[in-house]
Amino acid sequence: MNEHTPVYTSPDEAVAWMGTDPIPAKAYYDPEWFELERQAIFMRTWIEIGHVCELPEPGTWIRRDLEFANASILIVRGKDGQIRAFYNACTHRGTQLVEEESGRGSNFLCPYHFWNFGYDGRLIAAPDFNRFALTKEDCKIPKVSVDTCAGLIFINLDSNPKQTLREHLGSYAEGMETLPVARATHFAEYTYEIDANWKITYDNFQENYHLRHVHGLTGIATVHPDNLYGYPTKYTFDGANRTQEIWSNPEPKITPMQGYNFGLAAKFAQEEGVLTGPHARTYFAIFPSFFIIGTPVQHFSHKVYPISATRSRGVFRVYWIGEDDSASKRYSREYALASIHDIHTEDVNIINRAQKGLLSGAIKNIHFMNMEGLCRHLYLNVVKAIDEWQAEQGKRA
Amino acid sequence: MNHQQLPDGYEVLEPFVDFWAVHGTAARDAKRTASSEAQRKGFYQIAKDHVPRALAELDQTPLHQFNEKQTNLMNLLLSFAHVVNAVELLGDGEAKHAKFRAAMPFLRSTADLPA
Repeated sequence: MNEHTPVYTSPDEAVAWMGTDPIPAKAYYDPEWFELERQAIFMRTWIEIGHVCELPEPGTWIRRDLEFANASILIVRGKDGQIRAFYNACTHRGTQLVEEESGRGSNFLCPYHFWNFGYDGRLIAAPDFNRFALTKEDCKIPKVSVDTCAGLIFINLDSNPKQTLREHLGSYAEGMETLPVARATHFAEYTYEIDANWKITYDNFQENYHLRHVHGLTGIATVHPDNLYGYPTKYTFDGANRTQEIWSNPEPKITPMQGYNFGLAAKFAQEEGVLTGPHARTYFAIFPSFFIIGTPVQHFSHKVYPISATRSRGVFRVYWIGEDDSASKRYSREYALASIHDIHTEDVNIINRAQKGLLSGAIKNIHFMNMEGLCRHLYLNVVKAIDEWQAEQGKRA
Repeated sequence: MNHQQLPDGYEVLEPFVDFWAVHGTAARDAKRTASSEAQRKGFYQIAKDHVPRALAELDQTPLHQFNEKQTNLMNLLLSFAHVVNAVELLGDGEAKHAKFRAAMPFLRSTADLPA
């Protein structure tokens, strides 16, 4: 009789240290708790907001609006090639300098009274300026800390960040630099707004427990008798960040044109030198609400921006190296994009329902099992960040 | 009068051009959503056998040098890329799936760029 050798082993031990306590449901809908998160985390943590390929040359800029901060931020590449960020607000009377999402030039001209700012945020000129009791030096636009890793642009709204971006990313920075995104020149994007707390939204993408139920048709390739839920093979943790290694099904159920299309995509990934790599199956989750997955054929990132206690905005990006330089490449990318979009659209409805069920307050606790350990890790680090912030506030008082 | 909209050799795909050969990822996703099951299945069944040959032929011409017929064929193939999962994976589930897709619009795609 042949003995069955399992093709999958669950990494239970890696998450046991976090315990099994119920999680207070209130943290997922309560406005007061959200305000603590907003101040303790989002207003002073590195937040991913774009990619350097959006700023391909000096004079290019992008605008990003962050609802949680009531802020519009300009990220610019100056003449010196340096990336800088500052608020999209004129220092005269606060008027937003630009409404466009991106552009290029050499200055920002406020449309109200024509105050003119350079790409370093300094006031260059203003009509009849000598009537103000100000110097131009007084009129610099408040800057925002900005840095990059793996081509990804992060900002920090704290005027004096407690960590550098590298410190925030910890040991994962090096791994992220090996991902295709570090060489990306193009991307596709789809977004959504949803009536759900940012953690409920983000957690959906941190666990595979739901895959066979929510993605039973689109995710059929991941199902195997030894790993019915497509659980990961490994978890790691570093500070507030975490990773999982995505399991590869050795016997995927692939349909005819799906197989042809992914075969094409794999050929191009091979040509671009990204088909294999040390992190080709790694999912990097960066606190508070960004992740990027190393899979080369559908190399996508997801960022969840909180809007309120029960509303959030998600941005998915699929990154590519090089332009579409042939019909086959354009076709394979379109399929890869449509396929991952198919899966993510299925998530939106269930996330909505997950939030609605909590709003009455009848559910006092929610529960994460061990293979939902990344969700637990996020919650624990949210609590830790709030505790630290409150302790600091106590000291200041 | 010649109404040929595709390069020679793809006459069998001509009936699908008017509906499916549209520019832009978001527009193709919208066509998938607006299509009937019969439209998707019909397109899939006829087109699938021609995809490798069509791509191989289009690959001989740089994207920015496509004439109108080649552009139509490219757009038809790109719509086919959206239809594959609807037919092969979702089947009857596509109707329910279509309701969710509108909540997550495509804002940008390399296929939207000029070649």
